[in-house]
Amino acid sequence: MSLVQNFPFFSIIIAMFSGIFSSVLDGKKARNLSLLVIVLTTGMSLAVLHFCVRTGQSYTYMMGHFPAPWGNEIRAGVLEGLTAVLFGLVMFFSVTGGMDHTAADVETSKQNLFYIMIDLMLSSLLALIYTNDLFTAYVFVEINTIAGCGLIMIRQIGRSLSSAIRYMIMSQLGSGLFLIGLSLLYDVTGHLLMSPAKDAVAGIEAAGLYEVPMLVIMAVVSVGLAIKSGLYPFHYWIPDTYGYATPTASAVLSGLVSKGYIFLLIKIFYRVLGRENVIASEIVNVLFVFGLAGMLMGSVHAILERDTRRMIAYSSVAQIGYIYMGIGLGTQAGMVAAIFHMFTHSATKALLFISAVGLYEVSKDQKDFRSLQGSGYRNPLAGIGFTVGALSMVGFPMLSGFISKLLFATSALQSPHKMLPTVIALAISTILNAVYFLRLVITLYTIPEESSENKREEPANEEEIPKRRPVLSPGTWKLHLAIVSFILLNLTLGLYSQPVVAWIGSGLAMFD
Amino acid sequence: MDTPLFVNMEETVSIVLFGIGFTMLMLHRNLIKKILGMNIMDTAVYLFLAVKGYIRGRMVPIVVDGIQEVSAYINPVPSGLVLTGIVVSVSTTALMLALTIRLYERYGSLDLDEILMRAKEEERV
Amino acid sequence: MEGNIKLLLPVVMPVAAGIVVLLYPGFRQVRKSLLTMVLGTLALETVLVGLALAGEESLRLWQLTDAAALILGVDGVSRLFAVLTVGVWLLVGVYSTAYMEHEQEEYRFFGFYLIVLGVLLGLDFSGNLITMYVFYELMTLTSLPLVLHERTKEAVAAGLKYLFYSVAGAFLALFGIFLLLQICGNQTFTPGGVLTGMLGAGVASTEGAVTDSLVWGKEGLFLTAVFCILVGFGAKAGMFPLHGWLPTAHPVAPAPASAVLSGVITKSGVLAVLRVVYFVVGPEVLRGTWVQQVWILLTLLTVFMGSMLAYKEPLLKKRLAYSTVSQVSYVLFGLSMLQPQAFVGALSHVVFHSLIKNALFLCAGAVIVMTGKTQVKDMRGLGRRMPVLLGCYTVVSLALVGIPPASGFISKWYLACGALASGTGVWAWLGPVVLLMSALLTAGYLLPLTIQGFFPGADWDKEMLKLHAGQVSQELHWEAAAEDRKKAEPSVWMLAPILVLTAGALLFGCFPGALIRMLETIGAGVL
Repeated sequence: MSLVQNFPFFSIIIAMFSGIFSSVLDGKKARNLSLLVIVLTTGMSLAVLHFCVRTGQSYTYMMGHFPAPWGNEIRAGVLEGLTAVLFGLVMFFSVTGGMDHTAADVETSKQNLFYIMIDLMLSSLLALIYTNDLFTAYVFVEINTIAGCGLIMIRQIGRSLSSAIRYMIMSQLGSGLFLIGLSLLYDVTGHLLMSPAKDAVAGIEAAGLYEVPMLVIMAVVSVGLAIKSGLYPFHYWIPDTYGYATPTASAVLSGLVSKGYIFLLIKIFYRVLGRENVIASEIVNVLFVFGLAGMLMGSVHAILERDTRRMIAYSSVAQIGYIYMGIGLGTQAGMVAAIFHMFTHSATKALLFISAVGLYEVSKDQKDFRSLQGSGYRNPLAGIGFTVGALSMVGFPMLSGFISKLLFATSALQSPHKMLPTVIALAISTILNAVYFLRLVITLYTIPEESSENKREEPANEEEIPKRRPVLSPGTWKLHLAIVSFILLNLTLGLYSQPVVAWIGSGLAMFD
Repeated sequence: MDTPLFVNMEETVSIVLFGIGFTMLMLHRNLIKKILGMNIMDTAVYLFLAVKGYIRGRMVPIVVDGIQEVSAYINPVPSGLVLTGIVVSVSTTALMLALTIRLYERYGSLDLDEILMRAKEEERV
Repeated sequence: MEGNIKLLLPVVMPVAAGIVVLLYPGFRQVRKSLLTMVLGTLALETVLVGLALAGEESLRLWQLTDAAALILGVDGVSRLFAVLTVGVWLLVGVYSTAYMEHEQEEYRFFGFYLIVLGVLLGLDFSGNLITMYVFYELMTLTSLPLVLHERTKEAVAAGLKYLFYSVAGAFLALFGIFLLLQICGNQTFTPGGVLTGMLGAGVASTEGAVTDSLVWGKEGLFLTAVFCILVGFGAKAGMFPLHGWLPTAHPVAPAPASAVLSGVITKSGVLAVLRVVYFVVGPEVLRGTWVQQVWILLTLLTVFMGSMLAYKEPLLKKRLAYSTVSQVSYVLFGLSMLQPQAFVGALSHVVFHSLIKNALFLCAGAVIVMTGKTQVKDMRGLGRRMPVLLGCYTVVSLALVGIPPASGFISKWYLACGALASGTGVWAWLGPVVLLMSALLTAGYLLPLTIQGFFPGADWDKEMLKLHAGQVSQELHWEAAAEDRKKAEPSVWMLAPILVLTAGALLFGCFPGALIRMLETIGAGVL
């Protein structure tokens, strides 16, 4: 066994222990440790990805001394590696970009707690990606929830506390359903490891037994994870949560946490319940309908919203809808599109939240999006970042959003019954997206009327930025680094989509 | 008397309890009652799991005097799951209670709707 | 990347130059260096385009996904549009050097002006549908700052409107493209359409129906996709129902911007429609379907409505914008006939309308700069002060109306003949009737300015003008008027491009042979 094969386990455990260790460090050291750990784990995930692409197959890693079906296992393949790498990148740049705001928003004595939460979040996300055991997945779902709740409430303003408790309640509903689903599955199959459970499920399905319990299991697990990832009718915690947390937390929560649950759901569909069974059970159709509803309603809410960050949050509702729609198509191509959109959305939404911060700090920091007028000139890079993010969400060619749309449309055409609703919903939702995102972008580059006489003094290029930086944020090079990296990530996904799509395809093939 | 629901009485009870807990967590406005609901829900799952592991007439899998054959013991895995689950549920309960205390200190209420309303007002001021 | 790199140069060079202009602060302070840079880039671009057009090259740029590659290529149509684009850009660029002196933040205008040129050439050279779509979107985005230039409230509102119409149209088209991609697979531009080659493969060919075996069973969907694309790309060409942005965007944009918007950017909508209909879907597939019928109806409606609205419009630039709505739909009408003569008429009208409308907008811009007047009724007696300018205006107006020796006559003649020979039932005669009525309306809305300008009538007080001229000259620091009221023509930098455009509009009318032959060759290839 080569050293690389240990890396998934290492990365989970390093992240976990760095969190524990941070509790005795002060804020700054905890932050640096956290960044270091993110870099390390991302590097390891990259090695895992490389290893799996090179060998062309996935591997399982036995935890402890007991082999399957009794022991605990970790499993890594191309898709796991790829997801872990992307999550790591998004995490790193979200933390870097929001660093100064974290320092401003969080009490000094509690800085290290924030980074403990980040470490735990990273660890639980990696565990969700790599684990091959359902109960381990449940435990890390809970750790993830607790860490997420901590990230939201650490700002300690009224709205963030109340939204944290709402988040907690919704998450508990979701994980409760997930847990009862697991217990039922254990009851039916006698296994908690994914691979033996899958064999057992296949046997049960072949024998035609337990039809109702299997349906209940699928429904309960899907609904549980859908609640946790904020699918449309269960979305109402999203805008509060993303809107009032500190920027890093918003970016991480919207970009990664919901995606972790979706990844887990896809994994359970493929590796436990069996894709054919899920499709035959009509559960996918339910997800499809909710996905479509989310695509449309999320955008409508976003259009009605005035607060920029809540607007971006509602856009998340719409984008999650896209992902579930892709899953709901029930085809291989749909699944690939859904996973690709997961990546797109991680990269883009984090970019949007981080750029929005850059724009807010040069404006009066009001909620209303009209207060951002002209901020595109005051902080050009953030303006460009936001524009790129918005265009990518709208589906502008050469950015990653376009590729997602292309993949969705192509996969929709392969499933004849769902083709028409999908294409129509895609078209309507794209135009709705365009309405609020382009409105925002234009606002950024509008001159506010009262200050129109001094507009010419504003710099419109990057050379003059340092002089005009407001005192509020002295060290924004971190923000800029994050924005530039996110833009590059977006462009990479948009232009080099082929290998990514190919990896997703081969990763899904390894799931079977 | 031998309908499936009655034969599997423990499972039936645990699912009913789960439903009660779930509904409480979802619909109740009082935060403490929500937390109670969450605990009932979790406990129902543990009951379910524990029942799955228990086999009538067998022993606890603890070695007392020499190892006996496998069929003498109950299934220990669900018990392990229950223990893990209890740990998880204790920590989430603690977190929820802590949050509730903070909210009560700030808004003087345990009613979630009222808290949300006040939080909105507070922001507007 | 495989193929001839020289195709890429005309696309990349102006974009790079534009970005330099935008970012390098030196160009902001020294006007001379900015203008040198801009004109130098334009001149170099002309050479590069000439080189690129010399052969029938193609260039595979980038593999976007498995199914979609970015391809550049040169054929007859791209030659026509590329030459037109560069020529107009050069002339309007010269004009802008004088015009933009009166505006703020010239460097931003010129920077985006150059970038849009590169993007437009990319659009002209596109070798397949996806490439075209990419450049089309880029064009919308990069041309937006030209509309928004003054950044007043109206300009922003107009810019938003422009953006929404274009983006909504483009996405409508995009979903059509996705469908087509699925049905046709290959979307490389092929004269006559990629589907036509597959026709008649054993499937009973009922006339006019879509008979391709791939499309078989999905006609409804296929035709809907085509229709979405037509309406979507038609937005840029100002076709009803998505024409609304034109009359809003033009009055607020600076005159050179409205000139190129109207003269060239609306034509890229035409180019997109042309590529889809004649190079992907294939005219044979569309002939006789409901899509063609509705398309003809929409174009004729637009022609008539645009003329009527122009007739009633008091603002000169807005009137010209409505005129563009109507005239570009002449082109679309010609394309919708799916008939060789109408095709030639349509493409020649692209050229002529581009020259004429540019000249008209430049005239309007010159008038606004020199006198500050925007309403047609305030421009009485203009001919006394600016005889050359108004003379040019008159000549190109007559050309647009279609008075024989001038160019508009040629294209309209071909359009009418094509329509009559097209065999499209009622449209075959209704079309020419509408065109004729619209031509009369064109005369009705363009010529009053000439008449009032040269013959203001006895009641017109010369002293009024003198007074007025004095005031205006003070406002605009325009000293020439005070010295000599008679020689109140705009500067030669403004006048020369207008004269060249006017000459072009006239000469093409007198000697259309070469152009028509070239267009006929293209037409023979696709029909």
